Amino acid sequence: MTQERASEEKPYRRLETQALLQQIAFRHGLEAMEASENGSLAWVTSGFPVEIPIAMNLGVVYPEQAGAIIGAQKIGPAVSGYAEDLGYSQELCSYARVSIGSTEKPDEVPMGSLPTPQILLAGNNICGTVLKWYDAISEMTGAPVFLLDTPPIEKQQLPHNQEYVRHGVERLIEFIGSNFNRTLEEDRLREVAELSSRATKLWIRALEACKNKPSPLNCADRFLTMAPVVSSRGTEHCVEFYESLVAEVEERAKQGIGAIRDEKIRLLWDNIPPWHTLRFFNILASRGVVFPADTYTHAWTGNMVGTDTPSIIDEVVETYSKVYLNMGLDAKVDKMCQLIDDYDLDGFVMFSVRSCKRYSLGQLVSKEIVTERTGVPGVIIEGDMVDSRVYNAAQIETRVDALLEMLM
Amino acid sequence: MNYEGVIEQSSVGLKELVESGEEIIGYIYPHVPLELFMAHGFTPSLVRALPGTSSGFEESLQTFACSYIRNLYSQRANGQLLPLAGLLFPGNTCDALQNLGDIWRVRFPDDRVFRLTYPVTRYSQDESTTKFLAEELRILSETIANTFNRPFLTESYDRAIELVQDFHASAQFLYSARVVNPKIIPYSEVVRLIRTFLTAPTISSVSNIKDTAARVRVTSEDLGLVDMIETVRLAITSGDYSGVKLPEDLETPRVVIAGGMVEPQAIATLINDIPDISDSAIVLDLLSFGFKTAFTEAPSKSSDPYLAMAQSVLTAPGEPTHEGLSYRMKAMKDLLSNLSIQGLMVCEQSFCDPDQFEAPSIERAASELGVKTVRVPLDPELSDRGRIETRIQTFLDTLE
Repeated sequence: MTQERASEEKPYRRLETQALLQQIAFRHGLEAMEASENGSLAWVTSGFPVEIPIAMNLGVVYPEQAGAIIGAQKIGPAVSGYAEDLGYSQELCSYARVSIGSTEKPDEVPMGSLPTPQILLAGNNICGTVLKWYDAISEMTGAPVFLLDTPPIEKQQLPHNQEYVRHGVERLIEFIGSNFNRTLEEDRLREVAELSSRATKLWIRALEACKNKPSPLNCADRFLTMAPVVSSRGTEHCVEFYESLVAEVEERAKQGIGAIRDEKIRLLWDNIPPWHTLRFFNILASRGVVFPADTYTHAWTGNMVGTDTPSIIDEVVETYSKVYLNMGLDAKVDKMCQLIDDYDLDGFVMFSVRSCKRYSLGQLVSKEIVTERTGVPGVIIEGDMVDSRVYNAAQIETRVDALLEMLM
Repeated sequence: MNYEGVIEQSSVGLKELVESGEEIIGYIYPHVPLELFMAHGFTPSLVRALPGTSSGFEESLQTFACSYIRNLYSQRANGQLLPLAGLLFPGNTCDALQNLGDIWRVRFPDDRVFRLTYPVTRYSQDESTTKFLAEELRILSETIANTFNRPFLTESYDRAIELVQDFHASAQFLYSARVVNPKIIPYSEVVRLIRTFLTAPTISSVSNIKDTAARVRVTSEDLGLVDMIETVRLAITSGDYSGVKLPEDLETPRVVIAGGMVEPQAIATLINDIPDISDSAIVLDLLSFGFKTAFTEAPSKSSDPYLAMAQSVLTAPGEPTHEGLSYRMKAMKDLLSNLSIQGLMVCEQSFCDPDQFEAPSIERAASELGVKTVRVPLDPELSDRGRIETRIQTFLDTLE
């Protein structure tokens, strides 16, 4: 791979909407601090039905997102080191490690340490690690943990699984209620769910605009602009952000303006990105490689409102159980094949994230199946999302080069 | 006998069963109701990681897959597994085993792969978890019946309950006896008997552990220790140690082994191979294939066998998906402080989330009690054996 061009005309185009992200992030940070000071801040996992704590007037923050910020600042190894000093192995999830590390030494991590939580809300629909991670944070902060258990499903969610998760959601409402002495108003939940749904639908529109050639968004654009749908869904300002994003993206598509200047090869990205090296995508952009779709940002496309379920609680159950990471290898392969087909992609890159077992174990098998079913080649590169110590740029370059040689 | 020899010996019973035409269903996570398989006319056998299996996984698993699942996969890829009618994977216990089940289905399409998905029970104060698991068990039972045309037979189920109850009673007695007097029977012998049962839970393997427990009981009666042993057993099962009063002249060091799906036999062998050290230093383990299996309550006879089996499975103590960290740490601290423990060996397998996440909390909890700890990285292959033995020896020396 050649190095990113230093000339004024970059091979990629910057989104104007990105400027709004800073405002949202700033606002989100202030609200979180205020909630913590008021004794009502929840830390939540990315796949958690956040509409419920928001409807019960809790502030929410996402340690995974904080992990991404720490990664992007390239301080992952240092912050992870604080957790490793406490005895946590370098082999554990790096989101968890930097979360523990920044909780241990918040003053050392001005951007990325989160305000003190009063409650920890974990959903294991994204992985089983969150269970132990939030336990560790609970031990450090004294905040109680609630785990919404969504047992993995195969093909379809059976009635006993639905009933069990439904019971979990009801217990969640009781748990928040008893800890904060408040109740959940169905109307308020409906309102938050509607806002969440509107933001998600707009997000889906932005993603689907990438079916156009050239693609109006590249991977790095989506990784950055996904932040509000993760951290602020269920709010008005989140909807407003995605209205702006969709307007810009659809205008780009209408005008035939691509995210990169000279689109030649269209690839699928699989897994969490290397937050410390997002320029990976820009370097490839200079060679005409764009990533119109990825499995990671498409994970936030679950839409609560408008399902065929009888109540809003049932919608929560269905939406958050059917996160595709909770549905096994077949669902993931189906998703990849569908994206390759829908977005007319030439190949795929699978990022094998050493510290994310749920997402990564199985990639060697799914790579073969996806190629067999779609006829497009793929490559697996290995590294980590936050811990740059295990990211070997030279090795990755060699592998990606081999894929591109097949496609050029 | 070396470790490999012990493992070979414990597999003899299983090989004989296979040769006699008995059909085996393998399982990987220890907390499954053996009675279910027996009720369908199968012999359940715990499939575990084995030493000497270091490669074979590379086509399907990355190097950061935990050493345990790499080992299991390699055994299958290398043709080391005995013929199995089916293999049961756990769901929702850890990400590695969850994904391994999916990979296995793709790579070995002729294998009959089943999955039993567990609820995470730790925060629920109601019956939803038991109901969920009971339904999972009913579905598994129906699948087995339909796949093999072998119905669930109540008579077989009732016989299985008695067999497994006998095993639990004997194993619990032996564990408790060693807490009171670790020299009364070697740790290696207790875990060998448990291993033999879990490999082939037959009348013969249960008779072996029952006979051994009976002999130890006689010795204990001679030494006047039976009441104390029963008190310890009750304390461990109830979590209430108020009645426990151990003798004041206990031999030292007294060490507990903590960890998850680490092979107890491997620990025993490691310690017994250290010069001038014997496994009488080990008072108790808290491992999945030892303590956590032995102290799981057997199912009661009830009109709903699936509910009874689910209730039984969910009593397995100390599993991260069953109990929250704070509960587990409190239970461990109660045990350490009331059983006069001086040292704690924390075993962890590489890339094992549950082991590696828990180890720092265990260290802190033990430290609060003044109990010394050592962390022992332990893979099924015992690949760094010399250094591990030195580490353990140094640790035991500090306890003298």
